Amino acid sequence: MRALVIDDSRAMRRIVSSILIGLGYEIRDAGHGREGLDVLDEGWIPDLVCVDWNMPVMDGLQFVSAVRSNPAWRSVTIMMVTSESEHTQIVRALAAGAHEYVIKPFTADAIRDKLALLGLLPQEVAL
Amino acid sequence: MTTTDTGQRRRSSDHRPLIPSLIDEATVLSIAEEAWLALVGEDEVLVPLSVELPVDIMSSWVDVVGPWTGSVVLTTGRCTAEALSRALLRESAPEVLEIEDVEDAFGEIANVVGGNVKAALTGPSSLSLPQVGNAPVVRNPADVCRVDVVWRGEPVSISVQGALPPLPVLRPTPQNPLRENEVPL
Repeated sequence: MRALVIDDSRAMRRIVSSILIGLGYEIRDAGHGREGLDVLDEGWIPDLVCVDWNMPVMDGLQFVSAVRSNPAWRSVTIMMVTSESEHTQIVRALAAGAHEYVIKPFTADAIRDKLALLGLLPQEVAL
Repeated sequence: MTTTDTGQRRRSSDHRPLIPSLIDEATVLSIAEEAWLALVGEDEVLVPLSVELPVDIMSSWVDVVGPWTGSVVLTTGRCTAEALSRALLRESAPEVLEIEDVEDAFGEIANVVGGNVKAALTGPSSLSLPQVGNAPVVRNPADVCRVDVVWRGEPVSISVQGALPPLPVLRPTPQNPLRENEVPL
């Protein structure tokens, strides 16, 4: 399975990527939403996108809206991973088309549990 | 007749909340502890203790803009900021940490702590991207909630501090008495 990790913090990209690699994902990353869209435009379509909210150039909410406006990317599952923890923000993200929402700080188990809910744990890990 | 607003009169609606009325030290400490456990490591403990910061310090912060406007600032020694960054990156930390790596990781900790402080405040607010450098100055000493902790024996301060100066104090005079809806500040 493939995952695209989008966060302006290199440290956070490494942390999220490390968790997903441990679960068997093939990873690419991007520093903001525009870079993330560039990866999709290349034709590298992931099963999962983990995207931060507050980023320069293009924020996570704009990224979610852009992905959802393109029918070719309908299969992509989007999980927001962000320190924005207000209820209204969560509702906005889900309304824009995100499937799940993880609030920083998070644990590896929290990510794993969300992926299990989404049916996105690779089979050998889920067993 | 023309009158001039000297800014000396304030109505009760001009009230601006100060951070100690919105969040307490225990909540800030709890937010920081949770961030440390998740980001820095499961065995990483913050000990509430006030120890003098070293001379060579580094700060990271995020700004919060809303009903309360200010910054959530982390300050520690540069060596401690580097150790924090290594702990955050764990096995993916490069052998030699560049200053950009430290700024990025230390900024991310401020981002996570700041985001959760913002969530604890009332009303919708926005959060800036993290910044690293010399901390914003304290404009109003009454608008600060500061927690001092020790991590691995080194001091770290977490300060939630207002960005605005105090409102002028209204002093009634015989020529300028307090009127209805005006409050001394």
